Amino acid sequence: MNDVRTIVLGIGNPLLQDDRAGLEVVQRISRMDLPVDTQELYTVGFEVMDRLMGYNRAYIVDACSLGNKPGTVMEVRIEDIFSSKNLASSHAITLGATLKTAYQLFPDEMPGELRIFLIEVERIDEFTDIMSPCVDKAVQETVDIIASAISSKGYKSGRNMSCCRHIL
Amino acid sequence: MGKIAALIKKTLGLNGGQIKGESKVKKIEINPMTRLEGHGKIAIFLDENGNVDDAFFQTVEFRGYEKFLQGMPIEEVPRTVSTVCGVCRAVHFLCSMKASDDVYGVAPPSTGRKLRELFYSAHTVEDHTAVLYALGFPDFVVGPDASPAERNLVGLIKAVGAETGKLVLQKRGLAVKIFELLGGKPNHPVAALPGGWSKRINEEERAQIEKWAEELVELGKLTLQVFDDVVLKNPKYMELVTGEMYRVEVGCMATVDEQNRFALYDGTQKAIDAKGNVVGTFRGKEYLDFISERVLPWSYLKFPYNKKLGGWDGIKSGPDTNIYCVGPLARMNVVDSMSTPLAQEHFEKFHDTFGARPVHYIQAYHWARAIEVLAAAEKCLELSRDPEITGSDTWNQPSSCTGEGVGILEANRGTLVHHYITDDQGIVQNANLIVSTTHNNAPINLAVKTAARHFIQDGNVSEALLNHVEMAFRPYDLCLACATHTVTGGQQPVEVNIYKNSGELYKQMKNF
Repeated sequence: MNDVRTIVLGIGNPLLQDDRAGLEVVQRISRMDLPVDTQELYTVGFEVMDRLMGYNRAYIVDACSLGNKPGTVMEVRIEDIFSSKNLASSHAITLGATLKTAYQLFPDEMPGELRIFLIEVERIDEFTDIMSPCVDKAVQETVDIIASAISSKGYKSGRNMSCCRHIL
Repeated sequence: MGKIAALIKKTLGLNGGQIKGESKVKKIEINPMTRLEGHGKIAIFLDENGNVDDAFFQTVEFRGYEKFLQGMPIEEVPRTVSTVCGVCRAVHFLCSMKASDDVYGVAPPSTGRKLRELFYSAHTVEDHTAVLYALGFPDFVVGPDASPAERNLVGLIKAVGAETGKLVLQKRGLAVKIFELLGGKPNHPVAALPGGWSKRINEEERAQIEKWAEELVELGKLTLQVFDDVVLKNPKYMELVTGEMYRVEVGCMATVDEQNRFALYDGTQKAIDAKGNVVGTFRGKEYLDFISERVLPWSYLKFPYNKKLGGWDGIKSGPDTNIYCVGPLARMNVVDSMSTPLAQEHFEKFHDTFGARPVHYIQAYHWARAIEVLAAAEKCLELSRDPEITGSDTWNQPSSCTGEGVGILEANRGTLVHHYITDDQGIVQNANLIVSTTHNNAPINLAVKTAARHFIQDGNVSEALLNHVEMAFRPYDLCLACATHTVTGGQQPVEVNIYKNSGELYKQMKNF
């Protein structure tokens, strides 16, 4: 009996090509027989906080455009994606800011274990639900990483990884 | 630089086609690169004396949703458009659903309509709260001149205290719970039916919603108390709220109920001119008699104007303009009163503070938004106590297709119009969407120009310029959204570059 509540949260826009990468990971995970909840989100505001609270372990997957080789999978810490200067602009609350606020205000309700994966996009300028081949491949690789982590007994992860790193 | 200035100015017909001092024009560009906004940018042109000659808010991102929806069954449209934007998900959902009622010529039964309104009221509470606390209040609580590193949500929580921050977010979370309970799915609802609403509620759920709604009313009161303590009692901030640098004199458009009161979900559209005179009222397809959209080649965003007041006359403010705005401030100007008692008290205080109506001070958008949090919360409570809300009759099944439908919703950011032409099977042949930020496109341009003219004098571009100009468009709560959701790390969101006419960089400023 696994009493650790786990969620895999995918973020993206399902209609904008490679931006759907995080959602695609979640859809593939949900088709596997894993003891996890899955959730898709199309925004990174307070809704991220709403979704994560109450879980012990969480995996977040989002697309990114950081100038890396398209299809690169990265694992990052909250601090890596918390850019307070971005908060100065209108209308946007960044993923990092949401997570930082959530852990500051609700440390007991937020997951004790959190891993954040980013997938570098190639194209996000077409209305299509078909991803670029390299991103599609990266999605499957991310699915494998998360599925392996969930399945592996005794797997433990710190709340924040020690560094931002390319893992594929 | 000169060529760009010339192109834009020529397009607008400025200076009679002559580019005054073209060779001496300097350009300042503010280019916010945040994830949900899309690619909006601000260009400011200085004249030879270093004062602002002109300023433009440009949208350089093409969306093309109307094309995307062609060929789709109208009943599928609400679920699709709700995914297009992560922020405005509920309003596109509801507006297209109302249009689908029209396409099938069927109205929802009373319980179905009330469930829709309850759902939307809850969404208004959660969306407005996020906008106020994450984006609006930091300018005032932390201070407009504070470093962006502090002037944000984290800085706000530091200033008001973690307990207050926690309280606000906990209560806001209850609005999300109502949204999800009624919408049938987290984040992106699925309960819309042409002629109804698929999610009924039982007595147990009603009682739970009532308890949550009571908390939302407390959130509304708390939010207005924060605004009162932080802004209204601070003479320095009130100078900004009532300052000419943030005054944009245009007409207004909003929804009213049958008693000319505040209404969000449904009612009649009412337009007033910049002097406050009623231009007219309309419903549904009659919007075409009032709104015309001007296309300008330097922006993908169209420029609507009230054609009842004359043809396109450029992006102008003043008592005779036919430019109009929408959103919380427009609503406070258009309605005679609020429809709930506590919000009415604050509505009266709002107008007593400013005196003359309509109010053209755009920082008042934030105050209006706070009043609307309370109004929407009160509406949630009222509907949760309505005996009809647990009724089983939530859907009038359509039996024919009219082939055309218009949905108009008073969306959180302002009036939203969805217009669809379908074939006799309800398949979309044509679509036209006028979103809130489009209505506000010209006012935003005017706001940016007015603020830039105030804060840039004789070539002196202060370090506070960036935020003060951003404060000119932030009240409108721009949603160019529908943009990608990719993380863009490590890049400055706002940068000002001032160039000499030779192209040489004269001065560079960043807001971090």
